[in-house]
Amino acid sequence: PPGPVGQDPRGWRVPVDCVRANELCAGEPSCSSRYRTLRQCLAGRDRNTMLANKECQAALEVLQESPLYDCRCKRGMKKELQCLQIYWSIHLGLTEGEEFYEASPYEPVTSRLSDIFRLASIFSGMEPAATTSKSNHCLDAAKACNLNDNCKRLRSGYISTCSRELSAAEPCSRRKCHKALRQFFDRVPGEFTFRLLFCSCKDQACAERRRQTIVPSCSYEDKEKPNCLDLRSACRMDHLCRSRLADFHTNCQATFQSLTSCPGDNYQACLGSYAGLIGFDMTPNYVDASTTSITISPWCSCKGSGNMEEECEKFLRDFTENPCLRNAIQAFGNGTDVNVAP
Amino acid sequence: GVASALYFPRKEYLENVYIDEPAGMPLLRIHALKDSEEEVAHFHLCQNLIISRTRSHEKSWFQIKEKTGLLYLSKSLDREDFNVPSVGNGMTLSKVILYVFLSSHPFQEKECDSATHTTVSLSLINATTPACSSLTARQLCFTEMDLSFHIKENKPPGTFHQLQLPSVHHLCQNLSISYKLLAAEGLPFRYNENTTSVRVTQRLDREERERYELIAKCTVREGFREMHVEVPFLVNVLDEDDSPPFLPNGIDTVDAVVEFSRKEGTVLAALAVYDADTTPIYPLESSRKKYTGTIVTDDPWISETFRVEHVFDEIHFSPNGSRVRGTRHEYKLVLNKTISVTEHRSFQLDILVNDTEYPGPERLVMLHFNVSILPVNIQFSNMTYQFTVNRNAERFAQIGKICIENCMKFRGVNITYKLLSPNVSCYPVAILQGREGKYGSLYVNDSSVLRRPECKEIQYTVQATDKQSRKHTKTLLTVVLDGTLLKNEEGCPDSCARSKHRAECEECGGLGVLTGRCQWRQGSGKGITTNYSTCTPSIKTCPDGICDVVESRDPAVCPQDCTSGNVIGGHGKGIGNLGIKSGHGICYCFPRQNCYCEKDDIKEQLCDDMCKTVI
Repeated sequence: PPGPVGQDPRGWRVPVDCVRANELCAGEPSCSSRYRTLRQCLAGRDRNTMLANKECQAALEVLQESPLYDCRCKRGMKKELQCLQIYWSIHLGLTEGEEFYEASPYEPVTSRLSDIFRLASIFSGMEPAATTSKSNHCLDAAKACNLNDNCKRLRSGYISTCSRELSAAEPCSRRKCHKALRQFFDRVPGEFTFRLLFCSCKDQACAERRRQTIVPSCSYEDKEKPNCLDLRSACRMDHLCRSRLADFHTNCQATFQSLTSCPGDNYQACLGSYAGLIGFDMTPNYVDASTTSITISPWCSCKGSGNMEEECEKFLRDFTENPCLRNAIQAFGNGTDVNVAP
Repeated sequence: GVASALYFPRKEYLENVYIDEPAGMPLLRIHALKDSEEEVAHFHLCQNLIISRTRSHEKSWFQIKEKTGLLYLSKSLDREDFNVPSVGNGMTLSKVILYVFLSSHPFQEKECDSATHTTVSLSLINATTPACSSLTARQLCFTEMDLSFHIKENKPPGTFHQLQLPSVHHLCQNLSISYKLLAAEGLPFRYNENTTSVRVTQRLDREERERYELIAKCTVREGFREMHVEVPFLVNVLDEDDSPPFLPNGIDTVDAVVEFSRKEGTVLAALAVYDADTTPIYPLESSRKKYTGTIVTDDPWISETFRVEHVFDEIHFSPNGSRVRGTRHEYKLVLNKTISVTEHRSFQLDILVNDTEYPGPERLVMLHFNVSILPVNIQFSNMTYQFTVNRNAERFAQIGKICIENCMKFRGVNITYKLLSPNVSCYPVAILQGREGKYGSLYVNDSSVLRRPECKEIQYTVQATDKQSRKHTKTLLTVVLDGTLLKNEEGCPDSCARSKHRAECEECGGLGVLTGRCQWRQGSGKGITTNYSTCTPSIKTCPDGICDVVESRDPAVCPQDCTSGNVIGGHGKGIGNLGIKSGHGICYCFPRQNCYCEKDDIKEQLCDDMCKTVI
């Protein structure tokens, strides 16, 4: 007989998505009432006051045994926002909410960069590693995108939205530009988007094209550079941004435990979560058109951090001086991936 | 209160935990620093606050020594304990987050909510403890945690770190591992070889130096082999409010004059106050509350009319060569409402700056603003206007601008211009308000009047009125009609913009023309340029990238500035998606429909040999 939902043959829980978990919970009177209680507990209260309440604590303990506890979401899934809202409604009660690195609410990425290279070479009809000294990979990537209807449509969509000048004071609608960028990166496969974002460059014109990919004058730059911690807290107010940032930290956080500095030597996961940040407050980009060194940063600085400067710089370094991210971008540009035995 | 002033020199500690590590296995040492000499630190794990990504049942897996801060395993962990959902790469199974609390007296459970804490993040590794011989020197010497600490300024000295890893020391006793602290000469830090602990030896002052960069060197000896590992060892000094505000160059007074700019939101003047302390811009509001600037006045008119805006910025001081962060506060005197042109007064306005957390009377600084509010005269300068209008001008031809004295400098003064009807029947012109109520645009309203021979020289009175005060002024305006009537060309379009070629452009008229004929602008630029070729009623006003009040009256006047329709061909749109900012080749428009920008160099080519063979 089949085991209970959410368990694999070894008896381990297999993460179900939170929308499904929510439905399962709704089917059980005890779970659904506890879940309702917890949501009331979390509404407008900080974690410590919440845990001081016996009823809230009890609800949390019961829910830790429910499928809601281990549930995850998928990038670009139907009802992604709803899924993330359910995820955070439980997890904001579990963690302190002030953690430096938060665990990703997304399912782990199992595919590899090599899958992308394979597909990309089918699409373009050429070897991904074929490099002649004259070729401009970023230009090739744009051409490849223009030959695909979906990529072309969504790319021209975000480019025209992001370059539409509203008035002298407002060069564009940042909100609409971000939305169009999110659509592009969510709906166009990585074979196209990664090639545009992470193409390797030998000259400045190419690197400038790479920097311009996301129309930084609208989506990235601003009149003033906010403090990075301020930007982070703005991002954490939004379930989607918070999730994408947590996903970036989970997949791109440099570690000594692997050869490539990436968690599980998974470049694809890191690049995917980097692309997932584009179109949010925390949108990252290349800071210049340098061909020799790749520096990535969100639009923020650590000026004015006061006593939190150490924390701010640590946060910023995960973008600017991150060996995992740098290796992943370079590996993609070179068309190499690590061979990991399954 | 119970609030202890003890604190942790780190926000977070990291360590790995392996399967089958024995009970009693030391994991890591946590230190606390003191606020006053006599304090004693007590460490505690608050059970009810242990929340992890796994389940809550590992509550009893870990314990901490209350006096020494040594965190250890209270039970040997086996595979059963690790039977938790696998996340990530399979190496790290999960993380357990513990909170270590600090108190200056033996701990009572009820303090768990209020006491200071630090986070210990333990990675559960799905493997047995690696053999000492399989560990690299890097792993034997340091954990993944960077050696970065923070120490509060003005606090007593104390030990804040132990270099030796308790777990390695416990397991690999046959290895000789020793440490050194490099680049510490002359710095207030001491390394104790016996305990491998690092101590700050004196009270630190952030305003003197806020960052110390040392190097921790580790040497592993195994028989004759010797390995060295060096990692950065950083100490940041935390700031407290121990410096009063001061005035740069002693300047505490500034003039603030209100004259032509009278609009709400106008910044009149600003004064700066410096402080050697840092001021975080995040969270912004709390810093604003800590460093206040208030207008000192009993006069309700002053408090209604002015407000203070406080902005601050990180600046750097360099005491004895090292770079130290400080703050530049700027207090701006801003108009809180638009001031009438008739208002006339002067007074001194004081702003009291208060660095609220600085202990001592020097926390207060007074800033002085010498405010003069000058009245503005609503008058035309000593002149009468005279404009000559060609009899062939068309409707919406722009004749000139009417403007009272200093009108272009005005902000927040709204002037209405009006023509008082002359006593004759000739009445060809009208006025439209320019943008922001600064000037009036005189334009042809009825071109048939221009053609009437009895109309030659028309006298008008122009009246300018300030909207708010109703003050007004008048001057005379003479419009002289000039030129002989041209014969109208057959089949000309109503809009100059329709013409695609220079010849047809210059032989036709159209809405807005001044002399009966459209003007051709010959572009010189290559590619998509703002200087594109086009046919326009007047090169001066169209296309200039601005859809002005007269042009916006009729889409046929200057669609190059005003169109909101499609532009076909290479082009760039203007501000707000209106008009053609730049175009390729010649741009021409069908008003209310599309515009086109294209290169006009498609000449009939003779069929060459190649072409003949194809045919």
